[in-house]
Amino acid sequence: MSGTAMAVVKPEMTSYIWLQTVDGSIHQVEEEVAMFCPMICQEVLQTGMGSSKTCAISLPHHVNPAIFDLILDYCRFHQVPGHSNKELKIFNEKFVRIDTKKLCELTSAADSLQLKPLVDLTSRALARIIEGKTPEEIRETFHLPDDLTEEEKLEPLRNVTDDPRIRLLNRLYARKRKELQERKKLKDVAVEEEPKDERSVEDLLSFINGADGDIKGTRASKNKKKNRRKDQAKDLSSKNANENNKGLNLLPSAYHNVNFDKALEASASKHSRMQTIPAVNFSPKFEFIDGDVDDDLDPAVKEELDREVEDFARRLNSDWPERMQILSLGQDRRLVPISVNGNGSTHLYTSLC
Amino acid sequence: MRPKLAYSFPEEVLEHVFSFIECDKDRGSISLVCKSWYEIERWCRRRVFVGNCYAVSPATVVNRFPKVRSITIKGKPHFADFNLVPEGWGAYVGPWIKAMAAAYPWLQEIRLKRMVVTDECLELIAKSFKNFGVLVLTSCEGFTTDGLAAIAAHCRNLRELELRESEVEDICGHWLSHFPDSYTSLVSLNISCLGNEVNLSALERLVSRCPNLQTLRLNRAVPLDRLANLLRGAPQLVELGTGAYTSEMRPEVFSNLAEAFAGCRQLKSLSGFWDVLPSYLPAVYPICSNLTSLNMSYATIQSPDLIKLVSQCENLQRLWVLDYIEDAGLEVIAASCKDLRELRVFPSDPFGLEPNVALTEQGLVSVSEGCSKLQSVLYFCRQMSNVALLTIARNRPNMTRFRLCIIEPQVPDYLTQDPLDAGFGAIVEHCKDLRRLSLSGLLTDRVFEYIGTYGKKLEMLSVAFAGDSDLGLHHVLSGCDNLRKLEIRDCPFGDKALLANAAKLETMRSLWMSSCLVSYGACKLLGQKMPMLNVEVIDERGPPDSRPDNSPVEKLYIYRTVSGPRLDMPGYVWRMEDDSALRIS
Repeated sequence: MSGTAMAVVKPEMTSYIWLQTVDGSIHQVEEEVAMFCPMICQEVLQTGMGSSKTCAISLPHHVNPAIFDLILDYCRFHQVPGHSNKELKIFNEKFVRIDTKKLCELTSAADSLQLKPLVDLTSRALARIIEGKTPEEIRETFHLPDDLTEEEKLEPLRNVTDDPRIRLLNRLYARKRKELQERKKLKDVAVEEEPKDERSVEDLLSFINGADGDIKGTRASKNKKKNRRKDQAKDLSSKNANENNKGLNLLPSAYHNVNFDKALEASASKHSRMQTIPAVNFSPKFEFIDGDVDDDLDPAVKEELDREVEDFARRLNSDWPERMQILSLGQDRRLVPISVNGNGSTHLYTSLC
Repeated sequence: MRPKLAYSFPEEVLEHVFSFIECDKDRGSISLVCKSWYEIERWCRRRVFVGNCYAVSPATVVNRFPKVRSITIKGKPHFADFNLVPEGWGAYVGPWIKAMAAAYPWLQEIRLKRMVVTDECLELIAKSFKNFGVLVLTSCEGFTTDGLAAIAAHCRNLRELELRESEVEDICGHWLSHFPDSYTSLVSLNISCLGNEVNLSALERLVSRCPNLQTLRLNRAVPLDRLANLLRGAPQLVELGTGAYTSEMRPEVFSNLAEAFAGCRQLKSLSGFWDVLPSYLPAVYPICSNLTSLNMSYATIQSPDLIKLVSQCENLQRLWVLDYIEDAGLEVIAASCKDLRELRVFPSDPFGLEPNVALTEQGLVSVSEGCSKLQSVLYFCRQMSNVALLTIARNRPNMTRFRLCIIEPQVPDYLTQDPLDAGFGAIVEHCKDLRRLSLSGLLTDRVFEYIGTYGKKLEMLSVAFAGDSDLGLHHVLSGCDNLRKLEIRDCPFGDKALLANAAKLETMRSLWMSSCLVSYGACKLLGQKMPMLNVEVIDERGPPDSRPDNSPVEKLYIYRTVSGPRLDMPGYVWRMEDDSALRIS
């Protein structure tokens, strides 16, 4: 770069445009590269600025020096004609393989410079990053606040399935965080072990197992099950109506059992914040914390929390086959072992009595 | 609080990023990220999918998404296809059309499934949306050809008009003539479900003046000798549904037809084929190798003719056929159609007591062996074995939709007389991406244990005449993490499993149970405890209050909703509410 500031532009082999990024630094850029940006092009043509150091064009505030370099790389490549489609594709794909933060900055910068092709390229890359993620994951990636209320979250058309077990874990997480916050306030660093969740599930299980003998099904009438077309189907529902009455004697008396209601209390949600796990693993005595908690914790403490929650989840999941055994044995049925050998194939031994 | 400083985008930039994200699930995720994203997303949402028309009110949708251009709405539960939902149940699209007519003048696309659409609705659509382009009515009812005439007359920019398996009162075949002569934008026309003749010359003129026509599905009443003319008017066709495929055997009709077919070099999909006269089939042979989709499910021709046809379709990806194809035919398919992804075999005589064709489980096993891309199956047959199911499962771990319909209920493994638990267990265990499953045959609670354990990606499950106790239902509700739709009929499932898993129901779109053992009392309890669910009892015997609380209800339909109770229920539907379960009628 020339050391002297020239007021008059001498005709040279290469012309330059002078640009100033938001930090104040001034850059000298080859003309054809700089003019690739519509915003710069416009400035040059309309105001005549940019021909020297003293009249450098101020770039929009989104363009810091690091991003500026990236943009120049892009322009330098793309303003040369004759690249094959394959070359362009390879360059573009490589170009957006940068960390998300940089990608965001690049997108904003390209937008402010009106570089539409680059805006499209980076926007598509950001879209791909967003696709397939949960809201929480997206928040984490872009460091966004979790500022929607429970009501607002409920209101959108909910396409996302919500594993009740995950919700329970979130509640535990929240409770744990709150506990830790409390302790932090008291300046007590020692963290207590989370009480082991070895609660008996007998309350819930007993009524599932208990009176089941009498629900041995109504052997429904042998009617045709499915017809694919309405014109073919006879009215099966009217045919079945008579047969159904045969089953009425075999109703479980457990309906009036007190356990029933208790179990329902445990599983039904009173309002959106008191969701519980409907399945086998928790007794009605388990308490849940209302409300969400601020996430204002040390990353190290958070890590520990995460580990505990993970442990808990693993215990939940590993218990499952055993509990299935309990349930099945309660049904007076020989268990069918499904053994998995090394390559993942299974052998089924059916020996039902 | 946020550990790091959030990067803030200009709104237009974020909107631009969102414009590349189309999938409903992702749009949903975006809207749940934070307040500002919610706001931006709702203003740039162009397509909305409403899986259950009663899950949300038209007003809510319209208020939240002001700039929608395309909407898809589904109404009645799936079991309505099997006549399990009585007349007048609901799913009226009227309130939706009215709300959208006021809010979305630029609406372009409406797709409805299992909804009641009246002529007034169609007229309102025709007059309210200036740029209206796509109307797809699948399994809908309630309208006549007069409504269609209104659409034809007013929608200058109509591109697609599809009546798939809808019940249309066919008043007059001249509705087609309501398309003005200046109208040329048709891309897709499906009138296959219309009962009566349409004005054939109007149809011919329409077809020949629309250069972008790609899909034409005719109804049965279009005679074969007019087909050649139609084809000549649209050689660019990609998808064709013939009318009745029969005529007096005349050489000139045949050669005319063969020539016309040969001229359609883009044809990839064929359907129709009512009343097939086998000697006319060779007319399509020249284009067989281009076909990716073939629907012969109305063609009552025998195995040899079917084999001759299908064996030439080496690029076939989708095949729908009657069980006349038989095991022998399926073996040929397994050898010839290596690209097959979807197979549906329908029963030619479902009500007969004895098998009328040589189609057994072996046919499906052959296809599962020979067609490595097979992922979607609907198969009607009369016998099945655990070892066959295990073989299929091992052959095709890439299966995503598996619907097996053994015609007689509760038929055991014909080789061992065992229940088919192990076989279906193998299916769910091996096919890790299985999203849809229909069960049949003799099944105990064990099969549900397998499904609950392995069916982690399962979204829709259909069950009939299966299980022994509540444990079966409990396994499914507690184990299937991604379950969205569960439909059950004639199973001994009662209150316990349902109430124990009540919270699960809020994570699903809907649950249907008919001819089971769920008591009225349990329904009331559910309705009281779960404000986000609509618990609807369908009982044509009269008010459930007139029977004891422990008496089982006929039918139960539970679905999650943010719009509260629906107000358009017929007399035989009772909603279980907070305070009183009595309807004021």
